[in-house]
Amino acid sequence: MTTLKTHLYDEHVKLGAKIVPFAGWDMPVQYSSVKDEVLAVRQNVGVFDVSHMGEFFIEGDDAEEFAEYLVTNEISSAPYGKAIYSPLCRENGTVIDDLIIYKLSPNRVLICVNASNIEKDFSWIKAKHEGFKCQLTNRSEEFSLIALQGPKALETLKPLVGDLPDLEYYSVTETSYEGLPVIIARTGYTGEDGFEIFGGHETILAFWQKLMSLKVMPCGLAARDVLRLEVCYPLYGHELGDELTPYDAGLGWTVKGQKTKFIGKDALASKPAKYKLVKLILDKGIPREGYNVLNSQNEVIGQITSGTMSVVLNKGIALARIQIDKAPTDDLFLVDIRQKAYPAQLTKKPFVTGGHK
Amino acid sequence: MATNIPANLKYTKEHEWTLIEGDVVTVGITDFAQSALGDIVFLEVPEVGTHLNNGSTFGVVESIKSVSDLYSPITGEVVAKNSDLEGSPEKINEDAYGSWLIKVKVKDLGELNNLLSPEQYQEFCNTSH
Repeated sequence: MTTLKTHLYDEHVKLGAKIVPFAGWDMPVQYSSVKDEVLAVRQNVGVFDVSHMGEFFIEGDDAEEFAEYLVTNEISSAPYGKAIYSPLCRENGTVIDDLIIYKLSPNRVLICVNASNIEKDFSWIKAKHEGFKCQLTNRSEEFSLIALQGPKALETLKPLVGDLPDLEYYSVTETSYEGLPVIIARTGYTGEDGFEIFGGHETILAFWQKLMSLKVMPCGLAARDVLRLEVCYPLYGHELGDELTPYDAGLGWTVKGQKTKFIGKDALASKPAKYKLVKLILDKGIPREGYNVLNSQNEVIGQITSGTMSVVLNKGIALARIQIDKAPTDDLFLVDIRQKAYPAQLTKKPFVTGGHK
Repeated sequence: MATNIPANLKYTKEHEWTLIEGDVVTVGITDFAQSALGDIVFLEVPEVGTHLNNGSTFGVVESIKSVSDLYSPITGEVVAKNSDLEGSPEKINEDAYGSWLIKVKVKDLGELNNLLSPEQYQEFCNTSH
Protein backbone atom coordinates (compact mmCIF):
# COMPACT_ATOMS: atom_id res chain seq x y z
CA MET A 1 0.00 0.00 0.00
CA THR A 2 1.38 3.38 -0.94
CA THR A 3 1.38 5.98 1.76
CA LEU A 4 -0.57 9.19 1.46
CA LYS A 5 0.95 12.63 1.76
CA THR A 6 -0.73 15.72 3.16
CA HIS A 7 -0.80 18.89 1.08
CA LEU A 8 1.90 20.28 3.40
CA TYR A 9 4.30 17.40 2.78
CA ASP A 10 6.78 19.44 0.71
CA GLU A 11 6.82 22.10 3.44
CA HIS A 12 7.81 19.48 6.01
CA VAL A 13 10.61 18.20 3.80
CA LYS A 14 11.86 21.77 3.27
CA LEU A 15 11.90 22.26 7.04
CA GLY A 16 14.06 19.15 7.42
CA ALA A 17 11.41 17.09 9.20
CA LYS A 18 11.97 13.43 9.91
CA ILE A 19 9.09 11.69 8.09
CA VAL A 20 7.54 8.42 9.28
CA PRO A 21 4.58 6.34 8.11
CA PHE A 22 1.57 6.83 10.40
CA ALA A 23 -1.95 5.49 9.82
CA GLY A 24 -1.21 5.12 6.11
CA TRP A 25 0.28 8.62 5.82
CA ASP A 26 3.81 9.95 5.54
CA MET A 27 3.81 12.35 8.48
CA PRO A 28 6.44 14.59 10.12
CA VAL A 29 7.43 12.96 13.42
CA GLN A 30 9.83 15.72 14.44
CA TYR A 31 11.49 18.80 12.97
CA SER A 32 14.13 20.00 15.44
CA SER A 33 13.92 18.22 18.77
CA VAL A 34 10.93 16.60 20.46
CA LYS A 35 11.85 18.36 23.68
CA ASP A 36 12.02 21.82 22.07
CA GLU A 37 8.75 21.22 20.26
CA VAL A 38 6.95 20.14 23.45
CA LEU A 39 8.28 23.15 25.33
CA ALA A 40 7.27 25.51 22.51
CA VAL A 41 3.66 24.37 22.92
CA ARG A 42 3.70 24.41 26.72
CA GLN A 43 5.36 27.84 26.98
CA ASN A 44 4.86 29.66 23.71
CA VAL A 45 3.21 28.41 20.53
CA GLY A 46 3.65 25.60 18.01
CA VAL A 47 1.81 24.28 14.97
CA PHE A 48 1.03 20.74 13.82
CA ASP A 49 -0.08 19.43 10.43
CA VAL A 50 -2.94 17.06 11.24
CA SER A 51 -4.44 17.00 7.76
CA HIS A 52 -4.49 13.21 7.86
CA MET A 53 -7.51 13.35 10.17
CA GLY A 54 -10.98 12.87 8.69
CA GLU A 55 -13.87 15.32 8.27
CA PHE A 56 -17.47 14.21 7.86
CA PHE A 57 -20.40 16.56 7.46
CA ILE A 58 -23.97 15.85 8.46
CA GLU A 59 -26.40 18.37 6.99
CA GLY A 60 -30.17 18.60 7.04
CA ASP A 61 -33.19 18.72 9.34
CA ASP A 62 -32.17 15.68 11.38
CA ALA A 63 -28.42 16.38 11.50
CA GLU A 64 -28.32 17.00 15.21
CA GLU A 65 -30.70 14.18 16.05
CA PHE A 66 -28.60 11.78 13.99
CA ALA A 67 -25.38 12.84 15.70
CA GLU A 68 -27.09 12.45 19.07
CA TYR A 69 -28.11 8.91 18.14
CA LEU A 70 -24.59 7.98 16.96
CA VAL A 71 -22.52 8.95 19.99
CA THR A 72 -22.57 8.41 23.74
CA ASN A 73 -22.03 12.03 24.81
CA GLU A 74 -24.78 14.61 24.74
CA ILE A 75 -25.06 16.85 21.69
CA SER A 76 -28.47 18.55 21.87
CA SER A 77 -27.92 20.32 25.20
CA ALA A 78 -24.88 22.17 23.79
CA PRO A 79 -25.53 25.47 21.99
CA TYR A 80 -24.57 26.00 18.34
CA GLY A 81 -20.92 26.82 18.01
CA LYS A 82 -19.86 24.24 20.61
CA ALA A 83 -17.59 21.24 20.17
CA ILE A 84 -18.22 17.96 22.00
CA TYR A 85 -15.76 15.12 22.51
CA SER A 86 -17.31 11.66 22.36
CA PRO A 87 -16.67 8.00 21.75
CA LEU A 88 -18.55 6.37 18.85
CA CYS A 89 -19.76 2.97 20.05
CA ARG A 90 -21.28 -0.20 18.69
CA GLU A 91 -24.51 -1.69 20.07
CA ASN A 92 -22.38 -3.85 22.40
CA GLY A 93 -20.71 -0.74 23.83
CA THR A 94 -17.26 -1.22 22.29
CA VAL A 95 -15.52 1.82 20.86
CA ILE A 96 -15.27 2.30 17.08
CA ASP A 97 -13.44 5.62 17.45
CA ASP A 98 -13.28 8.76 19.53
CA LEU A 99 -14.15 11.99 17.78
CA ILE A 100 -15.04 15.63 18.08
CA ILE A 101 -18.46 16.82 16.99
CA TYR A 102 -18.68 20.46 15.99
CA LYS A 103 -22.15 22.02 16.05
CA LEU A 104 -21.51 24.52 13.27
CA SER A 105 -25.07 25.80 12.89
CA PRO A 106 -28.62 24.46 13.02
CA ASN A 107 -28.76 21.45 10.69
CA ARG A 108 -24.99 21.39 10.11
CA VAL A 109 -22.58 19.20 12.04
CA LEU A 110 -18.88 18.51 11.42
CA ILE A 111 -17.31 15.35 12.81
CA CYS A 112 -13.52 15.10 13.03
CA VAL A 113 -12.22 11.51 13.25
CA ASN A 114 -8.92 9.69 13.59
CA ALA A 115 -7.01 9.14 10.32
CA SER A 116 -6.72 5.39 10.84
CA ASN A 117 -10.48 5.05 11.32
CA ILE A 118 -11.87 7.18 8.46
CA GLU A 119 -13.18 4.26 6.37
CA LYS A 120 -14.40 2.26 9.35
CA ASP A 121 -16.23 5.23 10.87
CA PHE A 122 -17.78 6.39 7.64
CA SER A 123 -19.17 3.00 6.68
CA TRP A 124 -20.54 2.57 10.22
CA ILE A 125 -22.20 5.98 10.25
CA LYS A 126 -23.57 5.50 6.74
CA ALA A 127 -25.13 2.19 7.73
CA LYS A 128 -26.95 3.88 10.65
CA HIS A 129 -28.14 6.78 8.53
CA GLU A 130 -31.40 5.30 7.27
CA GLY A 131 -34.53 7.04 8.49
CA PHE A 132 -32.77 10.33 9.31
CA LYS A 133 -33.44 13.33 7.09
CA CYS A 134 -29.89 14.51 6.55
CA GLN A 135 -27.00 14.26 4.12
CA LEU A 136 -23.81 12.53 5.13
CA THR A 137 -20.56 13.35 3.29
CA ASN A 138 -16.97 12.28 3.83
CA ARG A 139 -14.99 15.40 2.88
CA SER A 140 -11.65 14.23 4.36
CA GLU A 141 -9.90 14.52 1.01
CA GLU A 142 -11.01 18.12 0.51
CA PHE A 143 -9.73 19.42 3.83
CA SER A 144 -6.37 20.22 5.30
CA LEU A 145 -6.14 20.75 9.06
CA ILE A 146 -3.54 22.43 11.21
CA ALA A 147 -3.46 22.81 15.00
CA LEU A 148 -1.99 26.01 16.43
CA GLN A 149 -1.34 25.27 20.09
CA GLY A 150 0.14 26.99 23.11
CA PRO A 151 -0.40 29.94 25.45
CA LYS A 152 0.45 32.36 22.63
CA ALA A 153 -1.89 30.73 20.10
CA LEU A 154 -4.55 33.43 20.40
CA GLU A 155 -2.18 36.37 19.99
CA THR A 156 -0.62 34.61 17.00
CA LEU A 157 -3.96 33.85 15.35
CA LYS A 158 -5.84 37.08 16.00
CA PRO A 159 -3.98 39.38 13.58
CA LEU A 160 -4.25 36.78 10.81
CA VAL A 161 -8.00 36.30 10.90
CA GLY A 162 -10.00 39.47 10.32
CA ASP A 163 -13.22 38.17 11.74
CA LEU A 164 -12.40 36.05 14.77
CA PRO A 165 -15.09 36.16 17.46
CA ASP A 166 -14.22 35.49 21.09
CA LEU A 167 -14.26 31.73 21.13
CA GLU A 168 -14.57 29.83 24.36
CA TYR A 169 -12.57 26.63 24.80
CA TYR A 170 -14.30 23.86 22.80
CA SER A 171 -16.15 26.27 20.51
CA VAL A 172 -16.12 26.67 16.76
CA THR A 173 -16.77 29.36 14.15
CA GLU A 174 -16.87 29.62 10.37
CA THR A 175 -14.81 32.54 9.16
CA SER A 176 -12.22 33.32 6.49
CA TYR A 177 -8.49 33.64 5.96
CA GLU A 178 -7.42 35.97 3.12
CA GLY A 179 -10.98 35.80 1.80
CA LEU A 180 -11.09 32.01 1.76
CA PRO A 181 -13.42 30.01 4.03
CA VAL A 182 -11.99 28.31 7.12
CA ILE A 183 -13.49 26.64 10.15
CA ILE A 184 -11.69 27.60 13.34
CA ALA A 185 -12.22 25.69 16.57
CA ARG A 186 -10.70 26.34 19.97
CA THR A 187 -9.76 22.69 20.38
CA GLY A 188 -6.62 20.61 20.32
CA TYR A 189 -4.83 17.60 21.68
CA THR A 190 -2.16 19.18 23.86
CA GLY A 191 -3.97 20.44 26.98
CA GLU A 192 -2.89 23.97 26.10
CA ASP A 193 -5.01 26.75 24.73
CA GLY A 194 -5.10 26.57 20.97
CA PHE A 195 -6.98 26.37 17.74
CA GLU A 196 -7.62 23.87 15.00
CA ILE A 197 -8.04 25.39 11.54
CA PHE A 198 -9.86 23.44 8.85
CA GLY A 199 -9.81 24.64 5.26
CA GLY A 200 -9.12 23.84 1.63
CA HIS A 201 -5.63 22.57 0.83
CA GLU A 202 -4.32 25.79 -0.71
CA THR A 203 -5.83 27.93 2.06
CA ILE A 204 -4.17 25.88 4.78
CA LEU A 205 -0.88 25.79 2.87
CA ALA A 206 -0.91 29.61 2.75
CA PHE A 207 -1.83 29.72 6.46
CA TRP A 208 1.02 27.34 7.34
CA GLN A 209 3.52 29.37 5.29
CA LYS A 210 2.34 32.53 7.05
CA LEU A 211 2.89 30.88 10.45
CA MET A 212 6.37 29.77 9.37
CA SER A 213 7.18 33.34 8.32
CA LEU A 214 6.15 34.39 11.84
CA LYS A 215 8.62 31.83 13.26
CA VAL A 216 5.95 29.65 14.85
CA MET A 217 7.65 26.35 15.75
CA PRO A 218 6.56 23.45 13.54
CA CYS A 219 5.87 20.43 15.76
CA GLY A 220 5.69 16.75 14.82
CA LEU A 221 3.71 13.73 15.87
CA ALA A 222 6.25 12.73 18.53
CA ALA A 223 5.79 16.02 20.41
CA ARG A 224 2.03 15.73 19.93
CA ASP A 225 2.07 12.29 21.55
CA VAL A 226 4.14 13.48 24.52
CA LEU A 227 1.86 16.51 24.97
CA ARG A 228 -1.37 14.49 24.93
CA LEU A 229 0.08 11.87 27.26
CA GLU A 230 1.28 14.48 29.76
CA VAL A 231 -2.34 15.66 30.08
CA CYS A 232 -3.71 12.07 29.89
CA TYR A 233 -5.78 12.33 26.71
CA PRO A 234 -6.50 8.84 25.33
CA LEU A 235 -5.33 7.77 21.87
CA TYR A 236 -7.28 5.30 19.76
CA GLY A 237 -5.30 2.10 19.28
CA HIS A 238 -3.64 2.58 22.66
CA GLU A 239 -6.10 3.45 25.43
CA LEU A 240 -9.12 2.87 23.17
CA GLY A 241 -9.86 0.01 20.81
CA ASP A 242 -12.42 -2.23 19.16
CA GLU A 243 -12.63 -4.59 22.15
CA LEU A 244 -12.96 -1.91 24.83
CA THR A 245 -15.82 0.19 26.15
CA PRO A 246 -15.50 3.85 27.19
CA TYR A 247 -15.52 2.64 30.82
CA ASP A 248 -12.41 0.54 30.18
CA ALA A 249 -10.58 3.75 29.18
CA GLY A 250 -11.73 6.05 31.97
CA LEU A 251 -14.27 7.75 29.69
CA GLY A 252 -17.37 7.05 31.76
CA TRP A 253 -18.00 10.82 31.87
CA THR A 254 -18.71 10.76 28.13
CA VAL A 255 -21.52 8.19 28.42
CA LYS A 256 -24.79 10.02 29.04
CA GLY A 257 -27.17 7.23 30.10
CA GLN A 258 -30.00 9.74 30.57
CA LYS A 259 -30.23 10.31 26.80
CA THR A 260 -33.38 8.61 25.48
CA LYS A 261 -31.72 6.76 22.63
CA PHE A 262 -28.17 6.17 21.38
CA ILE A 263 -26.23 3.27 19.93
CA GLY A 264 -24.76 1.17 22.73
CA LYS A 265 -27.02 2.57 25.45
CA ASP A 266 -28.38 -0.76 26.72
CA ALA A 267 -25.03 -2.53 26.71
CA LEU A 268 -23.28 0.35 28.45
CA ALA A 269 -25.98 0.47 31.12
CA SER A 270 -25.53 -3.17 32.03
CA LYS A 271 -21.94 -4.06 31.13
CA PRO A 272 -19.43 -3.70 33.96
CA ALA A 273 -15.97 -2.39 33.06
CA LYS A 274 -13.34 -5.09 32.56
CA TYR A 275 -10.42 -2.71 32.93
CA LYS A 276 -9.38 0.41 34.71
CA LEU A 277 -7.05 2.97 33.15
CA VAL A 278 -4.49 4.26 35.65
CA LYS A 279 -1.88 7.01 35.56
CA LEU A 280 1.62 6.02 36.70
CA ILE A 281 4.75 8.09 37.36
CA LEU A 282 8.21 6.52 37.68
CA ASP A 283 11.16 8.14 39.39
CA LYS A 284 13.46 5.77 37.56
CA GLY A 285 13.00 4.01 34.23
CA ILE A 286 10.83 4.91 31.25
CA PRO A 287 7.63 2.93 30.82
CA ARG A 288 6.77 1.99 27.23
CA GLU A 289 3.69 0.60 25.51
CA GLY A 290 3.28 -3.14 26.09
CA TYR A 291 5.38 -3.36 29.26
CA ASN A 292 3.76 -5.41 32.02
CA VAL A 293 2.42 -3.76 35.16
CA LEU A 294 2.83 -5.79 38.36
CA ASN A 295 1.37 -5.66 41.85
CA SER A 296 3.53 -5.80 44.98
CA GLN A 297 3.49 -9.63 44.77
CA ASN A 298 5.06 -9.35 41.28
CA GLU A 299 1.93 -10.67 39.58
CA VAL A 300 1.05 -9.24 36.15
CA ILE A 301 -2.10 -7.14 36.51
CA GLY A 302 -2.08 -5.17 33.26
CA GLN A 303 -0.06 -3.43 30.57
CA ILE A 304 1.18 0.02 29.70
CA THR A 305 -0.93 1.45 26.87
CA SER A 306 1.20 4.59 26.34
CA GLY A 307 4.42 5.60 28.02
CA THR A 308 7.12 8.17 27.55
CA MET A 309 9.59 10.39 29.29
CA SER A 310 7.67 13.53 30.29
CA VAL A 311 9.45 16.62 29.01
CA VAL A 312 7.87 18.82 31.69
CA LEU A 313 8.41 16.47 34.66
CA ASN A 314 11.58 14.78 33.39
CA LYS A 315 10.17 11.50 34.69
CA GLY A 316 8.70 8.41 33.11
CA ILE A 317 4.91 8.64 32.77
CA ALA A 318 2.38 6.12 31.55
CA LEU A 319 -1.24 5.19 31.15
CA ALA A 320 -1.84 1.54 31.99
CA ARG A 321 -4.80 -0.77 31.50
CA ILE A 322 -5.31 -2.82 34.64
CA GLN A 323 -7.69 -5.77 34.94
CA ILE A 324 -10.36 -4.46 37.23
CA ASP A 325 -10.50 -7.62 39.37
CA LYS A 326 -6.75 -7.39 39.91
CA ALA A 327 -6.51 -3.68 40.73
CA PRO A 328 -4.36 -3.55 43.86
CA THR A 329 -5.99 -2.22 47.01
CA ASP A 330 -2.63 -0.97 48.33
CA ASP A 331 -2.07 1.22 45.23
CA LEU A 332 1.42 -0.30 44.85
CA PHE A 333 2.40 -0.71 41.24
CA LEU A 334 5.57 -1.92 39.57
CA VAL A 335 6.51 -1.73 35.88
CA ASP A 336 8.55 -4.54 34.35
CA ILE A 337 11.27 -2.87 32.29
CA ARG A 338 13.68 -5.38 30.74
CA GLN A 339 13.01 -7.96 33.49
CA LYS A 340 13.52 -5.45 36.29
CA ALA A 341 10.60 -4.21 38.40
CA TYR A 342 10.56 -0.43 38.81
CA PRO A 343 8.22 1.15 41.39
CA ALA A 344 5.51 3.42 39.97
CA GLN A 345 3.35 5.94 41.80
CA LEU A 346 -0.34 6.05 41.09
CA THR A 347 -1.67 9.54 40.48
CA LYS A 348 -5.28 10.66 40.13
CA LYS A 349 -4.68 13.95 38.34
CA PRO A 350 -3.12 14.40 34.90
CA PHE A 351 0.69 14.50 35.02
CA VAL A 352 0.76 18.05 33.70
CA THR A 353 -1.89 20.74 34.01
CA GLY A 354 -2.37 22.31 30.60
CA GLY A 355 -3.21 25.98 30.36
CA HIS A 356 -6.33 25.71 28.22
CA LYS A 357 -9.08 28.23 28.86
CA MET B 1 23.38 13.02 5.70
CA ALA B 2 26.49 14.94 6.74
CA THR B 3 27.99 13.45 9.84
CA ASN B 4 31.00 13.83 12.04
CA ILE B 5 33.34 10.79 11.87
CA PRO B 6 36.72 11.31 13.60
CA ALA B 7 39.68 9.69 11.85
CA ASN B 8 41.29 8.28 15.00
CA LEU B 9 38.40 5.94 15.86
CA LYS B 10 36.99 2.64 14.60
CA TYR B 11 33.30 1.95 14.12
CA THR B 12 30.57 -0.67 14.02
CA LYS B 13 27.50 -1.15 11.87
CA GLU B 14 25.48 -0.60 15.06
CA HIS B 15 26.71 3.01 15.00
CA GLU B 16 29.15 2.72 17.86
CA TRP B 17 32.61 4.23 17.99
CA THR B 18 35.63 2.60 19.60
CA LEU B 19 38.95 4.00 20.71
CA ILE B 20 41.63 1.33 20.90
CA GLU B 21 44.41 1.81 23.48
CA GLY B 22 46.46 -1.38 23.91
CA ASP B 23 44.01 -4.08 24.98
CA VAL B 24 41.41 -1.64 26.32
CA VAL B 25 38.64 -0.41 24.03
CA THR B 26 36.54 2.63 24.89
CA VAL B 27 33.00 2.46 23.46
CA GLY B 28 30.45 5.16 22.68
CA ILE B 29 27.71 5.89 20.13
CA THR B 30 28.40 7.92 17.02
CA ASP B 31 27.22 11.39 16.10
CA PHE B 32 25.05 9.76 13.44
CA ALA B 33 23.41 7.60 16.14
CA GLN B 34 22.74 10.44 18.56
CA SER B 35 21.25 12.53 15.78
CA ALA B 36 18.99 9.68 14.66
CA LEU B 37 17.85 9.03 18.24
CA GLY B 38 17.07 12.64 19.10
CA ASP B 39 16.86 13.84 22.70
CA ILE B 40 18.53 11.11 24.78
CA VAL B 41 16.91 10.79 28.20
CA PHE B 42 18.03 7.46 29.64
CA LEU B 43 21.12 5.30 29.55
CA GLU B 44 21.77 1.89 31.06
CA VAL B 45 25.25 0.34 30.87
CA PRO B 46 26.68 -2.74 32.63
CA GLU B 47 28.62 -2.75 35.89
CA VAL B 48 32.38 -3.09 35.99
CA GLY B 49 33.31 -6.78 35.87
CA THR B 50 30.50 -7.75 33.48
CA HIS B 51 31.57 -10.13 30.72
CA LEU B 52 30.47 -9.09 27.22
CA ASN B 53 30.27 -11.19 24.08
CA ASN B 54 30.88 -9.72 20.68
CA GLY B 55 27.51 -8.70 19.23
CA SER B 56 25.51 -9.22 22.41
CA THR B 57 23.44 -6.42 23.92
CA PHE B 58 25.16 -4.66 26.79
CA GLY B 59 22.77 -1.85 27.58
CA VAL B 60 20.12 0.51 26.28
CA VAL B 61 19.88 4.10 25.26
CA GLU B 62 16.46 5.74 25.24
CA SER B 63 15.27 8.93 23.63
CA ILE B 64 11.93 10.50 24.55
CA LYS B 65 10.14 8.27 22.06
CA SER B 66 12.41 5.29 21.47
CA VAL B 67 14.39 2.48 23.06
CA SER B 68 17.58 1.21 21.37
CA ASP B 69 19.82 -1.65 22.41
CA LEU B 70 23.56 -1.20 22.61
CA TYR B 71 25.65 -4.01 21.08
CA SER B 72 29.09 -4.96 22.26
CA PRO B 73 31.65 -4.50 19.49
CA ILE B 74 34.05 -6.99 21.11
CA THR B 75 34.34 -9.86 23.59
CA GLY B 76 35.83 -8.92 26.93
CA GLU B 77 35.28 -7.58 30.41
CA VAL B 78 33.94 -4.17 31.41
CA VAL B 79 36.73 -2.37 33.30
CA ALA B 80 35.07 1.07 33.60
CA LYS B 81 31.71 2.71 33.02
CA ASN B 82 30.94 6.39 32.64
CA SER B 83 28.70 6.86 35.69
CA ASP B 84 28.40 10.62 35.08
CA LEU B 85 26.47 9.97 31.87
CA GLU B 86 23.71 7.99 33.55
CA GLY B 87 22.64 11.14 35.38
CA SER B 88 22.95 13.37 32.33
CA PRO B 89 22.58 11.25 29.19
CA GLU B 90 21.78 14.39 27.14
CA LYS B 91 25.56 14.96 27.05
CA ILE B 92 25.65 12.28 24.34
CA ASN B 93 23.61 14.61 22.11
CA GLU B 94 25.94 17.48 22.86
CA ASP B 95 29.18 15.59 22.28
CA ALA B 96 28.87 12.00 21.10
CA TYR B 97 32.63 11.40 20.88
CA GLY B 98 33.35 13.03 24.22
CA SER B 99 30.74 10.84 25.90
CA TRP B 100 32.17 7.37 26.32
CA LEU B 101 29.91 4.67 27.77
CA ILE B 102 32.19 1.81 28.84
CA LYS B 103 35.78 0.60 28.62
CA VAL B 104 36.31 -3.05 27.81
CA LYS B 105 39.44 -5.18 28.30
CA VAL B 106 39.60 -7.14 25.07
CA LYS B 107 39.98 -10.92 25.19
CA ASP B 108 41.01 -11.50 21.58
CA LEU B 109 42.83 -8.60 19.90
CA GLY B 110 42.14 -10.25 16.52
CA GLU B 111 38.48 -9.19 16.85
CA LEU B 112 39.52 -5.57 16.45
CA ASN B 113 40.21 -6.23 12.78
CA ASN B 114 36.47 -6.58 12.23
CA LEU B 115 35.81 -2.95 13.18
CA LEU B 116 35.13 -0.43 10.43
CA SER B 117 37.59 2.25 9.42
CA PRO B 118 36.27 5.85 9.31
CA GLU B 119 36.02 5.56 5.52
CA GLN B 120 34.13 2.28 5.72
CA TYR B 121 31.78 3.70 8.33
CA GLN B 122 31.14 6.82 6.23
CA GLU B 123 30.31 4.56 3.30
CA PHE B 124 28.00 2.49 5.53
CA CYS B 125 26.16 5.63 6.71
CA ASN B 126 25.78 6.84 3.13
CA THR B 127 24.35 3.60 1.81
CA SER B 128 22.25 2.36 4.72
CA HIS B 129 20.08 5.43 5.21
